Amino acid sequence: MNIPESHLAQEAVAALVDGELAGGPAARAARHLSGCTQCRMAVQAQREAKEALHTCSDVAVPGDLLSRLRAIPFTADVPGTGGGLGSLSAAPDQLTVSGPSGSWSVALDPPPAGADRAGHARWLRRGFVGALGVLGLGVTALALSLPTGSVDRDRPSPDSVAGATLEQRTRIVPPVVRATTGGTSGAAQPVGIPGGTP
Amino acid sequence: MSDAVDPAPTATEAWVAPTWEQVVRDHSARVYRLAYRLSGNPQDAEDLTQETFVRVFRSLADFSPGTFEGWLHRITTNLFLDMVRRRQRIRFDALPEDTERLPGTAPSPEQVYADTHLDPQVQAALDALSPEFRVAVVLCDIEGLTYEEIAATLGIKLGTVRSRIHRGRVQLREALAHLAPRRPVNDETVAPEGSAG
Repeated sequence: MNIPESHLAQEAVAALVDGELAGGPAARAARHLSGCTQCRMAVQAQREAKEALHTCSDVAVPGDLLSRLRAIPFTADVPGTGGGLGSLSAAPDQLTVSGPSGSWSVALDPPPAGADRAGHARWLRRGFVGALGVLGLGVTALALSLPTGSVDRDRPSPDSVAGATLEQRTRIVPPVVRATTGGTSGAAQPVGIPGGTP
Repeated sequence: MSDAVDPAPTATEAWVAPTWEQVVRDHSARVYRLAYRLSGNPQDAEDLTQETFVRVFRSLADFSPGTFEGWLHRITTNLFLDMVRRRQRIRFDALPEDTERLPGTAPSPEQVYADTHLDPQVQAALDALSPEFRVAVVLCDIEGLTYEEIAATLGIKLGTVRSRIHRGRVQLREALAHLAPRRPVNDETVAPEGSAG
């Protein structure tokens, strides 16, 4: 009897179906399969499951999702001017993100994606203002591209910024906290903190 | 040769990044399909896709060329597994307000088919798998990744990939057999054999 006593390992059955077995093991598996109905059925079962999944075609992306994805540069908060981004520059019609791996340009005037582009204009603009505000950048470029005056220019808080701005705010807060605690604990030698003037 | 067109070879960052428009155009279908197969419903698929691209946008500057697909697979599957774990916690805590929306997102089988062209029974069988098995099977059989790529995407060992795929497929086939005990295909395949004898 040339057929090995032990059946194929379950992992080997899957790997055989996916062509992931090396030459030697694959040949041994084939020899075993020729004489073992049980393992042949196991292989067949794996193959059927694979084919059931394989017969599906592409999925169409919903149009409104596509326009939301395109608008991410205007709506999403980009955390960390110190950490992730190398630099960021703004021109009247595009935003350029530069990093160690190259630079990405983002057109500020995306092509008309949907029917309700005009309806998006206001929150797009607000998101754009927010993004630039967070990054502390080019108000002049903003003024060039946005003729309508924005009141909340200095507020880096569009609705979508949840987690990331928290990090940023905590990073901004500590100096203030340190200053006040330094003032109370080191009362013997006031360092001259402004604000406590009589 | 074509030095007028190509960027300076001295710079290590000679690779020219695509525009955001191109990124969305080239990769949104793949990400959405993966998200749909994993989550099994359009609402979660949209949320996962949106969140994936937000992550991509936030870390564009850290991206190293050549691994974009792998990067997207990794982000999408991790977000999906996070989502599943978060919901399991919610379900475990059994908050009456929150449990209301958990089963409510399931679309009708007709809707699933219209959206995905995947047999609703297959999608239902896929949804019945545990998330870890589902991710492995989907990455292998729908996305066509190799075992090594799946291991890298999920951060698990090759042996684990093999065993999850195997067990996932076994469960999948059992679920399909349960859903459709009689397959119409069998009638046609049996007929020629009978005539031969």
